[in-house]
Amino acid sequence: MKEVLAYPANYWQTMYEIWLFIAVVIYLVVFIPGAYFLVKYRYRKGVNEKAQHVHESKALEVLWTIIPTIVVIYLATQSFAFYRIQRNAPENAMEIKVTAFMWGWEFEYPNGKKVFSFFNSVINPETNAYLKPEEVNDMFKAYIPADTPIKVLCTSRDVIHSFYVHPAKVTEDCVPGRITHMWFQINKPGEYWAFCREYCGTQHSKMAAVLKVVPKEEFEKWLNEGMQTNNTSYKQNL
Amino acid sequence: MYGVTSLVFFLIAGLSALAIRMELYQPGLQYMGEDTYNKALTIHGVLMQFWWAVGIWSSFGNYLLPLMIGARDVAFPRLNALSYWFFFAASVLALITLLPGNHIRMLWTGYPPFSLNENAGPVAFYALIIHLLGASSLAGAINLVVTNLTMRAPGITLKKMNLFLHSFLAMNVIQILGVPALAGAVTMLLMDKYFHTAFFDPTRGGDPLLYQNLFWFYSHPVVYVMILPAFGVISEIVATFSRREIFGRTSMIFAIWGIAILGFMVWIHHMFTSGVPDWIRIVFSYTTVLIGVPTGIKIFNWIFTLYKGSIRFTTPMLYILSAIFMFLIGGLTGIPLGLPAFDIAVHDSHFVVAHFHYVLGMALTLAAFGGFYYWYPKYTGRMYSELWAKVALVLIMIGSNLFYFLQFIVGLEGMPRRYADYPAIESWVRLHELQTVGAMILGIGIAVAVLNLVFSTKFGKKAEDNPWQSPSLEWLIPSPPPPHNFDKTPHMPEDWDPYNYEWLEKQHKKQ
Ligand code: HEM
Ligand SMILES: [Cu+2]
Ligand SMILES: [Cu+2]
Repeated sequence: MKEVLAYPANYWQTMYEIWLFIAVVIYLVVFIPGAYFLVKYRYRKGVNEKAQHVHESKALEVLWTIIPTIVVIYLATQSFAFYRIQRNAPENAMEIKVTAFMWGWEFEYPNGKKVFSFFNSVINPETNAYLKPEEVNDMFKAYIPADTPIKVLCTSRDVIHSFYVHPAKVTEDCVPGRITHMWFQINKPGEYWAFCREYCGTQHSKMAAVLKVVPKEEFEKWLNEGMQTNNTSYKQNL
Repeated sequence: MYGVTSLVFFLIAGLSALAIRMELYQPGLQYMGEDTYNKALTIHGVLMQFWWAVGIWSSFGNYLLPLMIGARDVAFPRLNALSYWFFFAASVLALITLLPGNHIRMLWTGYPPFSLNENAGPVAFYALIIHLLGASSLAGAINLVVTNLTMRAPGITLKKMNLFLHSFLAMNVIQILGVPALAGAVTMLLMDKYFHTAFFDPTRGGDPLLYQNLFWFYSHPVVYVMILPAFGVISEIVATFSRREIFGRTSMIFAIWGIAILGFMVWIHHMFTSGVPDWIRIVFSYTTVLIGVPTGIKIFNWIFTLYKGSIRFTTPMLYILSAIFMFLIGGLTGIPLGLPAFDIAVHDSHFVVAHFHYVLGMALTLAAFGGFYYWYPKYTGRMYSELWAKVALVLIMIGSNLFYFLQFIVGLEGMPRRYADYPAIESWVRLHELQTVGAMILGIGIAVAVLNLVFSTKFGKKAEDNPWQSPSLEWLIPSPPPPHNFDKTPHMPEDWDPYNYEWLEKQHKKQ
């Protein structure tokens, strides 16, 4: 089996490939006869001045009703099968709570430890442009253990935001007054982006967070180090 | 009047699009701040949807419907005037939002609770614009439905009616059923903001998803309001220049109504990641993909209309053929958006933006321009410049494919939409640069196409009454039509049909 960077992105990848194949075939099935007819039946003086009379063909019409129906029902069913897995976290997943606000994220771990990431923690204050993930101060990064399924419980403090984990290819809205869920697992240590995917005002495009994926032991160590972001720095940033 | 207003707004929206595109050329903020970007995006979205994609078809319908059914005017001319003046008033208000101090930054969707937030801009203004537009479309739609059903000249049966009119009827029915839902949603929004009701405010027991349900219950079907008339225009032009009746005409009519009905059953696919119950997502993914079936029927029927025809590659035909092949890409990329397993990765990404630009930005716009050129001699009595129309088409096709195809790829790579800025991920940067080049070429192409239409009203050569030799009723009277269209109500003979090209030849022989 080939190395998978993140779950459930692999199911998405398969769904994408199935769809792409079918879409290209359909495109050709339409394009090739279309192009052929255009050349063959173009108007030429003396040769093809008048259209020939063709009657409707019930057989053809039934054909291109039934085949597309089968194709789309197959696609929807395949999607159903994958979606159940993409949607429901494995039993042994670690839960983290994510609370979105204008404009940043609060991550809360099972032992109560919290990390805050703000829009201005991911940008260079001078140029107002995005930093590279490595350049962001570690204190604002959400540590995530590698090879471990993570279940995210998400809500929002003000407007609707959407938590999108870039490598895992999942997004789910964070709605005030509700708790929504999603899961992901990243297998390779490194630094990855999470973005806000629902328009939420001025700094929407800067509402990003860095997920720092580290080996399990390192994660445990970090988790028990105590709070990294204390309340004063939280207030300063608001 | 309608047509010119729509076209002017199309150009304003196009300019804001180019501004947006310039900003996305590189990561970082070069030309405008985030605030200005969000404002430009709001303007672009609102104007393109409501003034261009919906508005332009109202203008086609108003002008062509009476001509095609042999009526002197619409059923309620005053209601029609009212509808135009509402549209005009909404236009003025929309222009006012361009002035400093009235920034609306809540995008065309206006989701609460964001829209209730100070950051979103004046809700009352937005609601007023939407209400005026809604009233305008309702009045227009009722008028045209009544006209169509009661004023057809003798001999024009429902079966013999132009396919354009069938699509138009379906479009208007959608408007009549859908507009009240949107009107309700924005009214509730207004009350939440100014009268302290709590429909959508979760801190006081409201539910923000209720708005999304109401909003999409209208706003999904409305995309068919935009695209069905485009299908109608495509059908007219394909038939005329293949010189034969549309293949499978009956199944076309069923497909139109199938799309209209299914259109009301798929709105949840805009909410696949919004927190609605999982089983609803699955049910709606089935209804969503099923809409591909009637759409597919239409495409196959167009292609088979070419079969054994006598195809003339006039300018309108070239625009329409381009529209069909672009629509195919737009349609095929719409299907995966209906599959939750796929959508959770690309929801609210540039993939979605690319999809609807293929459908609306390209198929719809190309069909509208094809329609402009096709009926141009009818409107103005003059011909446009063939050469410049073709130059414009080539530029539009190169530009838009470069732009929108790459937009699919950035979307697949995860780039969220509505982003003024993005991190300098190498492939994103390159893709955005090329997209901006594409958008420039596209912009130039559209400018050429529009200038052609404008200048030809003055310099175009005189057109014949029926330059395309079509037996459809609007071509059987002089161009431009006399003030009351028809001196007396025409009686269409038994063997006449808007697509019976042999009938027309027989008439010519008789004379
Ligand atoms: C010159 C042609 C056009 C260009 C260059 C253009 C460009 C753009 C760009 C760059 C965006 C922003 C994407 C994002 O960041 O989310 C956008 C959004 C949009 N465009 Fe266009 N566009 C064009 C034509 C059209 C047409 C013809 C329509 C509709 C008929 C249209 C409808 C929209 C809508 C509805 C949005 C979404 C706004 C939102 O996110 O609220 N555009 N366009
Ligand atoms: Cu956000
Ligand atoms: Cu956001």
